[in-house]
Amino acid sequence: MIDDFGSADRRFVIKMVLTAGFLLLFARLFQLQYVNAELYGKEAEENSIRNVPKVAIRGYMYDRNNKLLVDNRPSYTVMLTPVDFDKKYLPLLSKILSMSEESIMDKIKLGRKYNAFIPTRIKRDITFAELSLLEELKDKLYGVEIQMESKRSYPTGARGSHLFGYAKEISDAQLEKQKSDYQPGDIIGSTGIEAKYEQMLRGEKGYEFISQNAKGQIIGNFDNGKHDILPVDGFDLHLAIDRDVQTMAESLLADKRGAVVAIDPRNGGIIALVSKPDYDLSLMSGTTPPEVWRALNNDEGIPLYNRATLTRYPPGSTFKMLLALVALDKKIIDENWTITCPGSFHYGNKIFKCEHVHGRVNVVDAIHKSCNVFFYQLMLKVGIDDWSEMGKQFGFGKQTKVDITEENSGLMPDRAYYDRIHGKGKWTQGYLISLGIGQGEVGVTPLQMANYASMLANKGKYYQPHAVNSIVNRETKKKENVKVDTRQVNLSDQSWALVREGMRRAVMELGGTGRAAKVPGIQVAGKTGTAQNPHGKSHAWFMGFAPYDDPKIAICVMVENVGYGGAFAAPIAGMCMEEFLYGEIIRYGKQPLPLEPNEPDEEPSALN
Amino acid sequence: MNSFFKEYFDRTIFFCVLSLVGIGLLSIYSATFDAYEGRDFYRQLMWVGVGFVSMITMMLLPLRWLQRNALRIFFSSLSLLVLVLLVGKRVYGSQSWLGFGGLGIQPSEFVKITTMLALASFLSQSDVKATDLKDLVKASAILALPIVLIMLQPDFGTCLTFIAMFIPILYWAGASKFLIIIIIAPAFVAAASVFGTTPFLIVLVILGAGLYLLREENRFFATIVFGVNVVIGFFVQIVYDKLPLYQQKRIATFLDPNNDPLGAGYNVIQAKVAIGSGGLFGKGFMRGTQTQLSFIPKQWTDFIFCVPGEEFGLVGGIVVLGLFAILLFHGVRLASIAKNKFGSLLALGFTTLFAFHVFVNIGMSVGLMPVIGIPLPFLSYGGSSLVSYMMIAGLMMNVYANRKEY
Repeated sequence: MIDDFGSADRRFVIKMVLTAGFLLLFARLFQLQYVNAELYGKEAEENSIRNVPKVAIRGYMYDRNNKLLVDNRPSYTVMLTPVDFDKKYLPLLSKILSMSEESIMDKIKLGRKYNAFIPTRIKRDITFAELSLLEELKDKLYGVEIQMESKRSYPTGARGSHLFGYAKEISDAQLEKQKSDYQPGDIIGSTGIEAKYEQMLRGEKGYEFISQNAKGQIIGNFDNGKHDILPVDGFDLHLAIDRDVQTMAESLLADKRGAVVAIDPRNGGIIALVSKPDYDLSLMSGTTPPEVWRALNNDEGIPLYNRATLTRYPPGSTFKMLLALVALDKKIIDENWTITCPGSFHYGNKIFKCEHVHGRVNVVDAIHKSCNVFFYQLMLKVGIDDWSEMGKQFGFGKQTKVDITEENSGLMPDRAYYDRIHGKGKWTQGYLISLGIGQGEVGVTPLQMANYASMLANKGKYYQPHAVNSIVNRETKKKENVKVDTRQVNLSDQSWALVREGMRRAVMELGGTGRAAKVPGIQVAGKTGTAQNPHGKSHAWFMGFAPYDDPKIAICVMVENVGYGGAFAAPIAGMCMEEFLYGEIIRYGKQPLPLEPNEPDEEPSALN
Repeated sequence: MNSFFKEYFDRTIFFCVLSLVGIGLLSIYSATFDAYEGRDFYRQLMWVGVGFVSMITMMLLPLRWLQRNALRIFFSSLSLLVLVLLVGKRVYGSQSWLGFGGLGIQPSEFVKITTMLALASFLSQSDVKATDLKDLVKASAILALPIVLIMLQPDFGTCLTFIAMFIPILYWAGASKFLIIIIIAPAFVAAASVFGTTPFLIVLVILGAGLYLLREENRFFATIVFGVNVVIGFFVQIVYDKLPLYQQKRIATFLDPNNDPLGAGYNVIQAKVAIGSGGLFGKGFMRGTQTQLSFIPKQWTDFIFCVPGEEFGLVGGIVVLGLFAILLFHGVRLASIAKNKFGSLLALGFTTLFAFHVFVNIGMSVGLMPVIGIPLPFLSYGGSSLVSYMMIAGLMMNVYANRKEY
């Protein structure tokens, strides 16, 4: 066979294929750009389609009684289309909006980068005065328009700063991380429930397809809006929160530094979660003026800090029940085991103090009267291992996995911890004595304490604490309950009975330290704590639950640097429990009824 | 000196590449400057620098050394493809990038070159005949290796390129026309049957006529080939159904982009509008409304042709097509005048590789081809493709310099 490599006829075929290809492309270009140029030119003028995102309505939050906690209200946003705006009027705009010219220019530049023909946000939530000025000067400020948007609002007295959290304009750093889901100017939940449930609350953005001409001016909806994608509303959250208890706790802590956490011991739902000092959420939603940020960051009360989940203080005497439970359950002692309290305890050359001379006390008395000596001795009998194991079962030393915010895991010291700190064999039992009364290295958060109160109330059932009970899809009305981890700590009935009886007496009977937490007509159980603090006055603790026989609320109150738990924390807890159980405060007698037309009652009828 | 320069330096290729790269830079500048403050433009400018150095390097490499070591170079380049599958980055759903710091390279672009070197080196061996079945199987095996690796990424467009660049060099190397028909026919039959019954029948008639005219071949075998193609045509619908949905949608949209104006057809329609509205002389540099409004997604990569099309009109389009035409016909001439078989195969293979890219990419922008994601040589944004095409140009210049050597 002849070698046909690169023959002339093969070269011809290849050249023909190339020629055909180029001719075809040329013909097509000729058709598009010469024959039909007018048609396409018109199309480019008139039928350029652009999609404009439509923000979805962010989901609402309701309390356990379906009362509204967080919703949206309309707000006015100033938008500016970079190509249309005449820079001559920049000083005027800056004056009306009381923004610096540079900051407006920065926003315009940013918008120009994205697309100069599309309006970009200049200022959210302008005042009515600003709005009317802008309307008046409309013909000068060409390219400036007002857009209705929605803004978070908090229609009730419940501030919930650390609980609800805020949703604000997405930052560059957040945008970098989630580029595919968000665009500049979008609102994103940044703290609290707003952040944890962002995916449910935000809904889905919709798109409107609009036709634009070659100058970028909007002609109208493309194809009569047939292709528009409607935004999907965010899901509503139904919280375990009781609005009135939350408001009450906030007002009781108003001038203090501290936290209140109340939990429903029947399911772990958070009834109230307060940290004070706090801040006004409505200042934080959307965009926050820098001076507000500065003020909040420089405030020495650290209002941005969530004391309910982040502080780590020793729990004080509230920890005595834990030690009593271990000792009773392991049968190290029984209800008849007693000690004599002379007002102090000597170990080696150290003296550990008690508040009073309690004389002969058993375990119930020791909780009732908060005798330290009893628990100093008991700690030595029980030892570190069983004690710290029990503490971990009650959720200390680890995060509760609450659905609100970041939290401190606290510290539940164990043998390994002491070995690490002091060295193996270089520490003695003496190091442990103060742990028995909740002092020393042990550190807890108010949330962990409320969970502990809840587990004492329901006899060992652990529910993952959660603020959100259920999520409701607005469109389908479908309700989905939030799944919660549970487990049971099994201890003997006798152990629970004795410890809970001590707690009941601490509030209900003479000589108890928690008597200020009493609620009229209801048996309350609780325990005070006073955590020593090297930097000032002690932190006051109270934790407890009510009603004693059928607990519906468990609570922890912590007030920083005030002194005794019985004096400062217990009264707050009592008021909150009363509000929850009665739905109002009844201790001062009922409010006089408002004057209304007399309704027929027995007396007039008797006259007849 | 001047005559030495004329003798060894391919001014035609150099001029075409220089002009096309320049048009590409202008287009990228126009399409991206507003949005990213020129970041993409400066990055591309840097790649142009890298490209020129690579081009000159490729031009100066000893051709014989390349021929002897082509297989070795080919196999080591395959390891890059394996590496991509192991540690590569995902872009638009396929894993075809290797990241080095902030820059990404796409090894498949360079493997195109090494595969062509390997095929040309193999087919130019004196004992290898393109008519010999055993040698054809060996050549196919060389081709199959990178295709399998790229299919795993998966990158459909690049795979097509590999297949497309194989056929012309087989033909050039002397494979029988009958064989070429056997290879090409199923593709046309399959495509036609997707379009409908009439195109399918037309293609069958053409195929039948072609087979009949090649009388020198075995009649019986020709009948079998014809039958197989009929069967392929009928079964292609099943294959079509098995395609990934997005490919199906693209093909359906290709038939009528108006079916889905906001989804799959959006690019095609907007591209057509951009080019069409350019008219005879265009709207002027940086004045294209479609370009400046960023109506066309991925405009500075696959749809770059829209920019000169809109801003410089039919004149701009003809300049771009003309430069490519000069380059390609020069390439064919080069393949004919090169005395060395290896050089001749390289020149022709690379020329047809360019042709495939130009026809498919521009065809896609003007609505004649389905949207297959392959770049327009020298114009599209992207470092790997630009550098690899400039290396190819360098190799063609190398062939020119050595054209008189046996």
